[in-house]
Amino acid sequence: MLLEATDLAFAYHGAPRVDVVDGVSLSISRGSIVGLIGPNGSGKTTLIRLLSGTVKPAAGSIALDGTPLAALSRRELARRVAVVPQETHVTFDFSAIEIVLMGRYAHLGAFALEGPDDFAIARQALAATGTTALESRRFATLSGGEKQRVVIASALAQASDILLLDEPTTALDVGFQFEITALLAGLNRERGTTMVVSTHDLNLAATLCTELVLLRDGRVLAQGRTADVLTASNIRQLYHVDADVTFHARAGHLTVVPLARAE
Amino acid sequence: MAATVLGFGALTLVVCVLAPLAGSTSIDLAKVFDRTQPFADNVDAQVFFIARMPRVVAAGIVGAGLALSGVVFQALLRNPLASPDTLGVSAGATLGAMLALTARADFTVFGVSVVPLATFAGAVGSLAIVFALSMARRRGTSTTVLLLGGIAIAALLNAAGRFIQYLTADITGTFRTVQWMMGSLDVGSYAPIVASLVPFGIACAGFATLPRVLDLVSLGEEAAEARGVDVVRTERLALVSASLSTGAAVSLGGPILFVGIIVPHIVRLIVGADHRLVLPASALFGASFLVGCDLVARTVASPVEVPVGVITAIIGGPFFLWLLFRGR
Amino acid sequence: MAVIQRQIGLRAKGSGLLVALALALGVQPSALAQARRVVSIIPATTEMLFAMGAGDRVIAIGTYDHYPPEAQKLPKVGALIDPNVEQILQMRPDLVVIYGTQTELKQRLERARIPYYSYVHKGLADITETMRSLGARVGAADAGNALASRVERQLADIREHVSKAPHPKTLIVFERERRTLRNIYASGGEGFLHDMLVAAGGVDAMADVRRQSVTMSTEMVLDRAPDVIIELRYAKDDIDDTDTTVWNRLASIPAVRNRRVIVLTGEEFVVPGPRVGEATRRLAAALHPELRW
Repeated sequence: MLLEATDLAFAYHGAPRVDVVDGVSLSISRGSIVGLIGPNGSGKTTLIRLLSGTVKPAAGSIALDGTPLAALSRRELARRVAVVPQETHVTFDFSAIEIVLMGRYAHLGAFALEGPDDFAIARQALAATGTTALESRRFATLSGGEKQRVVIASALAQASDILLLDEPTTALDVGFQFEITALLAGLNRERGTTMVVSTHDLNLAATLCTELVLLRDGRVLAQGRTADVLTASNIRQLYHVDADVTFHARAGHLTVVPLARAE
Repeated sequence: MAATVLGFGALTLVVCVLAPLAGSTSIDLAKVFDRTQPFADNVDAQVFFIARMPRVVAAGIVGAGLALSGVVFQALLRNPLASPDTLGVSAGATLGAMLALTARADFTVFGVSVVPLATFAGAVGSLAIVFALSMARRRGTSTTVLLLGGIAIAALLNAAGRFIQYLTADITGTFRTVQWMMGSLDVGSYAPIVASLVPFGIACAGFATLPRVLDLVSLGEEAAEARGVDVVRTERLALVSASLSTGAAVSLGGPILFVGIIVPHIVRLIVGADHRLVLPASALFGASFLVGCDLVARTVASPVEVPVGVITAIIGGPFFLWLLFRGR
Repeated sequence: MAVIQRQIGLRAKGSGLLVALALALGVQPSALAQARRVVSIIPATTEMLFAMGAGDRVIAIGTYDHYPPEAQKLPKVGALIDPNVEQILQMRPDLVVIYGTQTELKQRLERARIPYYSYVHKGLADITETMRSLGARVGAADAGNALASRVERQLADIREHVSKAPHPKTLIVFERERRTLRNIYASGGEGFLHDMLVAAGGVDAMADVRRQSVTMSTEMVLDRAPDVIIELRYAKDDIDDTDTTVWNRLASIPAVRNRRVIVLTGEEFVVPGPRVGEATRRLAAALHPELRW
């Protein structure tokens, strides 16, 4: 097991108790793509934050290759776990390669300058995400899909074991969604990158993920192989929606078509 | 690009060497360095070494200090329009100065008179309050709290200042405060400069560790955290350093506006966004900029002087309009 | 007659016939005025009114009117920036002496049909001029003229006394930050401080600057190199501060070298009123210690 979480619990301070995590256990094996599915407020983002070490669990433990997360320094953790957020807003006029090079901080620290190795890794990451041509472009001038690909490249530059992606395609149009999905699948295929992807998009989950974890109200409703877990019954329990889950021959994977509200 | 920073360094050197040579009165350079005349009798030397030199040095320190704080606040608050004034520093400094000027308090500490001391205390104090507020809410939205807290504290301190003016009904106190607010680099001696170097030096020690992490923090707190930055510690260090730097600058020269915003912007247009270049370049350009503005302030309307804050405002206003219309 | 009186807002004493006769002869209505309830919010005019013996007509004074002592028991109704208009109106004055720049107050008084006297603060000659016109305005013309003449004689005597002595180049500093040489305000080449200096037999170091006050930078002070520096102290809380050691830094100035940095204390230096003669005399004595005073 690459990443093992046991009985995680966490809640934010403040009145409405949303995005709580309450007794979640999961295991992520090397080379898998695990999808986190669940309605808004089910705790997906919180879980990503817990797995990346950004927040500390109130109870439970997380271990990376056997080592507890709490025992790792921030930089060590960043060398092992990288995060791709839903949206990245860049305040200053950084170029694409500068954004990617920031991923090297975990290896370099505050004072070391980037060397030729770092530039090579950064360029490889750009190549892997098909953004080599954008290297000197200002990040702010890129399209949504290009931005997301550069951010993924930045995460790749961290050279981590695991990539956590928080709703990576939610803000993108269908064209870019397709692009990113294909990219992630390719990375997993060619580099063996382990991924945890939280998403709203059931079809993305069906396409990309080898396993799924279904979250409801901070608890695991079901987890396992995609084909086993992505069922109409589970979807009804999660979303109160009647959906048709069928294997699409041309696409080569399951598709989910919502039909009606269920009560 | 490191060459560009050296270029800024050269500019600063040239400006600082030439500035004391010019002024509202004409002096004879040969006489300035004439050792045969005792200093106490040598008017040209006195003008050069007592009137002009400390002024140039003070302008350099204040310009660098305000520019550095500006860069740091802009990165911290993820807002290119932030400045040392955004978090209420000016309001705190003004309140401190106003209390000292109105009370006509009369003492010096290590050769530093009470107005700069009170100004420093006010500046750092207001930032400490805002800082404490942001630490009370522990996660995620700390920069929002900083910003809102700063606006609230600034409003509160301004109101407190006006209330005190109303209570004391002291027109001269008000007048002196208004004059102080226009800024003045005419320090006339090295004691206040040396005193300001203490907090400024500490601030620079803090700034020296920040450039790379500021790049990352400007992407967002979680984005920085995920790349291995200790965001909370960085924000604290940045805030403390920027407070000390701003406090030192304002207590030396008064609240000179626009330097903290204009300089980082211009520097970024030249060297790009990487803080490892922006930070040192801003310090150097800030120094040159303010030395230049002070030169204009003390020569343009000779024999009287224009307050240096007026010159920076005259440059700052159109600069902002230009920024606004630049195709945003 | 009553109509004219109301229109000009006067309360003229004497018979209507006298007024008609006066008007026919082209005499200004104000010359017939007699004010019995005067509010003066300006230190100079308050002093003038009391000095000319019209103090009994004054019913209220300004916040900063610290002289004469017999005025201090009167209610204080504000000053330049914060006149207490309600209180002034309530006292039903028949004349309010105000600053020429207090336009809002003027409007309020006009609306309430209360006459006012508009005072402008300028040079030495304007002081005696004001004594005369204010005296006439309140109906104490003779006293006003006498006061003005007395002051004029004082000044003439001083001018005469110092005429043969050398006139030192002098800088008058009326404000600076404590314990430092920052934010120095000096008298410029205009205004009554300048005129006083000239009357007292000094050459104004800042004569070429056409302003009443100048902010002095260190460079300016060194360049002007005055022979004498006069520091005026008049505020309650720094009247005891006679420390001039800060100037020693600027050793090349003749005033410092020859130990002629002199502190003169007293409000009479900054109130352009009846004590200006006395103030000028003290200034002249400071500038010319070699003469007999």
